[in-house]
Amino acid sequence: MSFAELIWRNITSRSVRSLLTAAAVAIGITTVVALGVLTHSLKVTATSVLKTGSADFTVAQEGVSDVLYSAMDEEEVSRIASDPGVDKVVGVLIGVAQLDKDHPFFLRLGLPPGQLADFGVDVVDGRPYSADAPDEIILGYRAARDLGKKVGDDFTVENDSYRVVGIFRTGQVFGDSASMLSLSQLQAEERKPGDVTLAFVRVKEGQDVDAVRKRIEQANPELATVRTESEFGRVDRNLELIKAANTGATILALVIGAVGVSNTMMMSVFERTREFGVLRAVGWSRLRVLFMVLNEGFLLSFIGAAAGCLAGYLVVQALQDVPALRGVFNPTWEAGVFGRALALAFGMALVGALYPAVRAARLAPIAALRHE
Amino acid sequence: MSRPAPPAIETVDVVKTFDGGIIRALDGVSLRVEAGEFVALTGPSGCGKSTLLHLIAGLDSPTSGAVWVDGQELGRIRDMDAFRRREVGLVFQLHNLLPHLTALQNIEVAMLGNGFSHKEQRQRAQELLEAVGLGAKAKTEPTRLSGGERQRLAIARALANRPRVLLADEPTGNLDSESVDRVLKLISGLRDSLLAVLLVTHDAHVASMADRVVRMRDGRVE
Repeated sequence: MSFAELIWRNITSRSVRSLLTAAAVAIGITTVVALGVLTHSLKVTATSVLKTGSADFTVAQEGVSDVLYSAMDEEEVSRIASDPGVDKVVGVLIGVAQLDKDHPFFLRLGLPPGQLADFGVDVVDGRPYSADAPDEIILGYRAARDLGKKVGDDFTVENDSYRVVGIFRTGQVFGDSASMLSLSQLQAEERKPGDVTLAFVRVKEGQDVDAVRKRIEQANPELATVRTESEFGRVDRNLELIKAANTGATILALVIGAVGVSNTMMMSVFERTREFGVLRAVGWSRLRVLFMVLNEGFLLSFIGAAAGCLAGYLVVQALQDVPALRGVFNPTWEAGVFGRALALAFGMALVGALYPAVRAARLAPIAALRHE
Repeated sequence: MSRPAPPAIETVDVVKTFDGGIIRALDGVSLRVEAGEFVALTGPSGCGKSTLLHLIAGLDSPTSGAVWVDGQELGRIRDMDAFRRREVGLVFQLHNLLPHLTALQNIEVAMLGNGFSHKEQRQRAQELLEAVGLGAKAKTEPTRLSGGERQRLAIARALANRPRVLLADEPTGNLDSESVDRVLKLISGLRDSLLAVLLVTHDAHVASMADRVVRMRDGRVE
């Protein structure tokens, strides 16, 4: 019998308790995996808007809770465009509408039709809307597929009626799940004349992007430029809150899992006191006893982690069908999610099993053998 | 002229107290077990037999005095785990087998980390089971063995690491007469392969099987 076989036998001989402990670990890991994927995916979706149209950077109002609440006027967009390092600027107004209970979060993007190509929009069916046709709209291919719309269909958003004249593709979930119409029309419908939400900036070839950003921020102190995902928090506090919630949930999962493992291992150590005495009497060292109990904790945790990763995957699949997340949640699986789950399982085992293991190892053999 | 072989076991004026000296379990015990001897340690309950056995096994240390096993003074041994692993085989009255392991695994667990390969470990465990008459019960768990079979299994485990001395604490205490005879025959038959056997018992019949009987009373050798 190998040491590993012994550990397996020790775990499986108390199968109900082991399963319950693994389940406690699994719940924690499920939470971490699902929240991790959700947070990461929301971040990818949210930050994908920053990369639209191969922009070098995006400009938004600084410090807003949600990037969609950013408000800039077209004068500011013109000021940005006048910077000597700027090649092109596209000002986009973003409006949020509720289509029905299954589509509570539908985006309308307003921008001049002549700038669609600069915004990275590829009209794959029909044609772009006209600047002077207030009832024309184009739909992202995901939105069209989800809503069952095609070119020529009527389409109503809240009280505004449109005719679908084209289907587009941007290559990003955020954009492909939205609609686009003329900037002036959306400004009128949103009662935001002259306003845009974001400005997408491309700098001239050979220009220092960071120098251009610095000049724009100095000239417009109320605006912030964002180039990387890590800077997104400057223009969207929500994502920071989600990340904080994710961190909190991870810590909570660690505590719950560690308490579960600790409870089981403590009970096990107490019940097996005589067993440890026997092992010490036949010559097992303290270190070997410590290693055995610790490894039992690790095995329990990793069984729970495997189950938790599977359950997390299933939860994420189920989340895709939640109406509120349609169009904004497209799961992106990264190895880091599972890496964090394994690290968490390791942490749960270490925190939960260390004290029981030390206690088992420190038992005096003679006292352990006398234990009733 | 060669030096005489050291005794297998020797205790010199051993005192063991508990509860800060209130209880004096051993009161100056000096005992000598020569190589090749099978000694029975007898006496009434509470006279200190088991305490002395535990000190010889290195499971506890004396308050004063010295214990020697195969020429080694226990108080000077740094790695007591290795001493217990290599020098002594212990058999308890309550056999103390691990209930979730099979008979074979109960023997193998004693050999873990003692330099045996997996194959050697399995082979030796099986040989020991055959030697104690449990060859057919290798995969049986202790809860499904009779009292006598459990004790024979405990003896097999005690011999797993080829110890120099066998220390048995009331190994027949809970057995019927048929099982007692079988266990005693087994222990007696082991004498050739061991340096010495020290058996604690309060049963005169059991003690009569030994080469020599040492009687204890009130923590002293009579």
